[in-house]
Amino acid sequence: MLTLESLSKRFESTTAVDSLSLELGRGEFLSLLGPSGCGKTTSLRMIAGFESPSSGRILVNGRDVTHVSPRKRDTGMVFQNYALFPHLDVFENVAFGLKARGAAGAEISRKVAAALERVDLSGYERRPVQDLSGGQQQRVALARALAPEPPLLLLDEPLSNLDAALRERTRDELRTLLKAVGITAVFVTHDQEEAFALSDRIAVMNLGQLRQLGTPEELYRSPADAFVASFVGRANFLDARVVSRDGDLAEVMIGEHARWRVRLDSDGGAGSSSDGDVRVMVRPELLRLLPAGGDDPGGNPGADGNDDTALSGGSRGNGLPGWIVERRFAGSTTQYRVQLFGAPELLVSVPGHGPRLEGRVLVVAEEGVPLRAFPRSGL
Amino acid sequence: MSLKRRYVTILTALSLAFLTACGGGDGRQILVVYSPHGPDLLKTFEARFEEANPDVDVQWLDMGSQEVLDRLRSEKANPQADVWFGGPRQLFQAAADEQLIEAYSPPWAAAAAEYSDPQGRFHGVYLTPLMIAYNSAVVDSASAPQEWDDILNPEWADRVLIRDPMASGTMRTIFGMVLQRSIRETGSVDAGFEWLRRLDGQTREYTLNPTILYQKLARQEGVVTLWDLPDILDIQSRGGSYPFGFIFPLTGTPLVEDGVAVVAGAPDQELARRFVDFVGSESEVITAARKHFRLPARSDIPSDSLPETLQRARDVINPEPINWQLLNERGSEWMRYWDDNIRGRG
Amino acid sequence: MTEEPSPASRAATSAPEPSAISHTLSPVPGSVTPHRWRPKVRVTTLLGVGITLLLLWLVLYPNLFVFVDSLRARGEFTMEHYQRFFASRSEREALWNSVWLSGASVLLSGLIGIPLAFLFSRYEFPGRTILGGLAAMPVLLPPLVGVIAFLFLYGESGFLARGIQELFGLALPPWRFTGPWAILLVHAYTMYVYFFLFTSAALSRLDRGYGEAAAALGASPVTAFRRVTLPMLAPALVGASLLVFMTSMGSFSAPYVFGGGFRVLATQIFVSKLNGEPAIAAVETVVLAAVSILFLALLQRYEARREYTGAGKGTVSGLHRIRLGRRGTILLTLSAWALVGFLLLPHATVLLVSFVPEGTWTTEFIPPAWSTANYTSLFSESELLTPILNSLRMATIATLANVVLAFVAAYLLVRRGFRGKRLLGALVILPWALPGTVLAVSLATTFSVNQPLAGRFLLVGTFAILPLAYFIRNIPLVTRAAMTSFRQLDPSLEEASASLGADWTTTMRRVALPIVLPGLAAGALLAFVTALGEFVASVMLYTFRTRPISIAILSELRAFNFGGAAAYAVLLIALMAVVLLIGYGKVSDGPTQ
Repeated sequence: MLTLESLSKRFESTTAVDSLSLELGRGEFLSLLGPSGCGKTTSLRMIAGFESPSSGRILVNGRDVTHVSPRKRDTGMVFQNYALFPHLDVFENVAFGLKARGAAGAEISRKVAAALERVDLSGYERRPVQDLSGGQQQRVALARALAPEPPLLLLDEPLSNLDAALRERTRDELRTLLKAVGITAVFVTHDQEEAFALSDRIAVMNLGQLRQLGTPEELYRSPADAFVASFVGRANFLDARVVSRDGDLAEVMIGEHARWRVRLDSDGGAGSSSDGDVRVMVRPELLRLLPAGGDDPGGNPGADGNDDTALSGGSRGNGLPGWIVERRFAGSTTQYRVQLFGAPELLVSVPGHGPRLEGRVLVVAEEGVPLRAFPRSGL
Repeated sequence: MSLKRRYVTILTALSLAFLTACGGGDGRQILVVYSPHGPDLLKTFEARFEEANPDVDVQWLDMGSQEVLDRLRSEKANPQADVWFGGPRQLFQAAADEQLIEAYSPPWAAAAAEYSDPQGRFHGVYLTPLMIAYNSAVVDSASAPQEWDDILNPEWADRVLIRDPMASGTMRTIFGMVLQRSIRETGSVDAGFEWLRRLDGQTREYTLNPTILYQKLARQEGVVTLWDLPDILDIQSRGGSYPFGFIFPLTGTPLVEDGVAVVAGAPDQELARRFVDFVGSESEVITAARKHFRLPARSDIPSDSLPETLQRARDVINPEPINWQLLNERGSEWMRYWDDNIRGRG
Repeated sequence: MTEEPSPASRAATSAPEPSAISHTLSPVPGSVTPHRWRPKVRVTTLLGVGITLLLLWLVLYPNLFVFVDSLRARGEFTMEHYQRFFASRSEREALWNSVWLSGASVLLSGLIGIPLAFLFSRYEFPGRTILGGLAAMPVLLPPLVGVIAFLFLYGESGFLARGIQELFGLALPPWRFTGPWAILLVHAYTMYVYFFLFTSAALSRLDRGYGEAAAALGASPVTAFRRVTLPMLAPALVGASLLVFMTSMGSFSAPYVFGGGFRVLATQIFVSKLNGEPAIAAVETVVLAAVSILFLALLQRYEARREYTGAGKGTVSGLHRIRLGRRGTILLTLSAWALVGFLLLPHATVLLVSFVPEGTWTTEFIPPAWSTANYTSLFSESELLTPILNSLRMATIATLANVVLAFVAAYLLVRRGFRGKRLLGALVILPWALPGTVLAVSLATTFSVNQPLAGRFLLVGTFAILPLAYFIRNIPLVTRAAMTSFRQLDPSLEEASASLGADWTTTMRRVALPIVLPGLAAGALLAFVTALGEFVASVMLYTFRTRPISIAILSELRAFNFGGAAAYAVLLIALMAVVLLIGYGKVSDGPTQ
């Protein structure tokens, strides 16, 4: 449906988009996710035709549209600020694209009515757009983009101008509606939750480069690099040293005593040197807390460190000592902020109503799930 | 789309404005006259000429004589005017030198030969005597300055109004007279400039144009000025309360020759000539004298056909000899010197 | 004139090529929006080239003749005129006077106009709307009449001086309305309007959110004003300063009538010309224009450094006006009325004089007699209507041309980055830097012969020359208004239109034009009214068939008929006021952002 082939956009001194390639199937929803300035909006604008790429190609249904003007690309676009025409009413806004394509009067009325029906704004035809609420304006913008029935819809931060409560509801409605239409859609967003909720696949971008393309699950479970890991969901990072390795899997030493099992970044990096420095990424929900044993706080929790179970990471001997800074109950989970001794703070998330721990604790990793580790230079 | 309707309304209104304004000529021949003589005199002649020539539409543009010259210059390639009516001899001479006006001898040329171009390119129609004018509500004729030099008396200090000489042919002529007298008497202009420096000391204000001069004189911002006869008489005649009196200095009164000429390449040369014939004809110079106080240049106009004031003026005036050629040649330089070194420093 | 809109219309109507591969207009590094969507490169290239050539031809080319004149003597090129100019004490004095007087005029006009704008946009009190409209009235004081009004009002035999003299039994008038201070007063009086209008417009656009954000960040009101409001107003203030400076530099009537012996360049040009020294006049003209252009360049640099393009979301919050307490409101209302009354005194004077029978008012404090004689004699003349219709017609043609040019030029300047953008930007402002007389002289010189190959056509003496002069004079005004509108126009609207399948012309016609129109129309109305009363260029270029209103007034003045002139002026002011009222009424119920 949509193919980007090493698409680049360079401004005078900076490269906004660096050789972006991806492919999008019919009816698929893709999010371009990244912090501001990562090139996601520029990419979207190149797809729409508002920016011309410095190099690379854009194909829609196999047709090269790289140098085709925006109006001939057959893409609908929903702008961040909606860009509704202030001098036209709702009907005229929605009808604009149909008129521009020379549709007949009856067809226009029919299609506008259908589009407004779809976004639940029937009866608002003659309202000036300024009189509408933010949510309504957003839906008019959507109806306007959908009315000419483009095969591809581009949405630039479609929800960012809505308040939080409305945003969540609109998000779900938007997905349902677009799926019902059967359109192919590209979203630009900086909000990971929004990207997760809306899209089938997500392209995470940073500094103009595509860092990872995958389903929300893949991104969360196996982030390609530390950036993706930190940008998608919450992540804790711990500096570690590789002690031994077996293929992808390796054993690393965190601090003086704790040995944890990790899966190394498959594309080499740390894998090339078996005893290199790595950075271990662990999601908060994969950490567990144990009460600190004995009265020896900083003492020697791994006295029996030669136990085989240590490798599983779950044992007390491989626990990282620290103390609880804060406990926060968040409904479905309970979250703890734990300050490690001589190490960074960790976030630990425990399902349900977690115990009221205070003071010293040991942090251990969930058993059986190898953690991700990235080369230290990766961040 | 109510906007569209609004555009249409505006556009219709606008095109209506055009249509009503577009009405061109009415089929009459058009005679265009450039003249500094003012609307009153011009209206008189427009009516009289059109009466005598019903097929002609006289169109006059009222402007300063310097502006007439400027216009003729810029319109040289595409002359718009047929006749230049009114202006001092120096300007006509300049126009003649630049071939902006062309030779023509009207039937009355001989009678005004003294004030005309020997090659017949322009002809004197009126004579404008320059003299001292004062506000008679404040000053009576006995105590008013009787001579040019009297203006320098202490009693007139800061009470003299002068029309800006840079912009006024009248004032240039008076200044020229002062400097030429100086040359005649001492051989150089120094004494003359010294005289002008003292005049500058007496001067309350140099005014932009005649209208403001009259205004300020009437409102007593100043009480004495140097100006010309027809304008003062004209204002006196308006019946209002403009109390202007005048005095011809007996040591000499310059007479500015006021001419008429056919514009070179006039759109309607025949008509232009007819108009020149007309304004210089006996009946018309007498009309101008009676209605607008113009002293005829023609020597063959009997005094008794003129209004009393002009008869008296003819008797009293002692014409000051002016070397027009010298004034033409040195005038700019003198005025520049005056402007740079004397104005505001006396 | 007939030539002039053709490049634009030709480009706009020709079917644009879809291919956008050839990027003829290459982006300029560092320009504001160089990488925005580029529509129809062909159309806009044509437009850009066409408009630049047109302006080069109409704005720059005629002035070259003046420049050449300043360098020629006896058929050779020489610097001797310049040497003479700079060697002369009075010329240097005139130059310096022009500069400081213009600077002081900017300052003084700002001191009146800016607080006035704040008063009317920030405070609520009875009669605010009416007074706000009245405070803009000096726009409607035609140049010639304005000066006369001041003479009657503040002159030493004028209304005020006579009143004080009578009141205190003084032997002499209390002041003489002459010298630089008189000029300055007249300038401030007539030019504060630019500051008032520009600042008011900017204030109404200014998102109150910024002020609140600043307050929330703990800024004191003074800091908030200095750090937030003032920078946001900067473009408006720069524009107004520019306009006042240029107008003061070119101002002729005020220095000439009230200057006494005070020389400025504009009067020196006049004097040199009358004295038969065209070369010196040309030098003075070039120097005057150079100073103006220098100032223009300075301000443009400043402006380029700070571009405040819709940092907000395009939503204009309802302007919140401060309501003072009862006593405060009364005080405010009274002072506002007094202030506006003071500012309208010249208009009142014109009205007053129009009812004074000729020759009756000389030394009295107030006119001793009243009548409508001036009006009846005016209306009994069959020729009354012709100048009015002439002016309407010529002003309309000129303004329509202005609107077309301004729209296209503003689009190119705001939306596009291209080589030659700075040139175009300078060309559309340049007419401001050239005084009306200079424009008239240069047009009269350039278009007095028919040499089509040299780009010279015989326009002098034809109908076309005056509308052309009005058109050129008003290019900066209308173009700036259009640029302001375009800056406020959210670019994504044009992109939305394109993504919906509309081509460039449709986008311009259906999206940009309707939204830009109110701002553009406001500028056009001002231009129209200016053209209606234009005097300086008209007096040099009019013909009998095209004589405009200002010439009719001049004619009355030359005949020493103040009453008649005033009556004519009252008609003109009324006409302008009607145009503005209808115009702004139409504009304000049009689409607004």
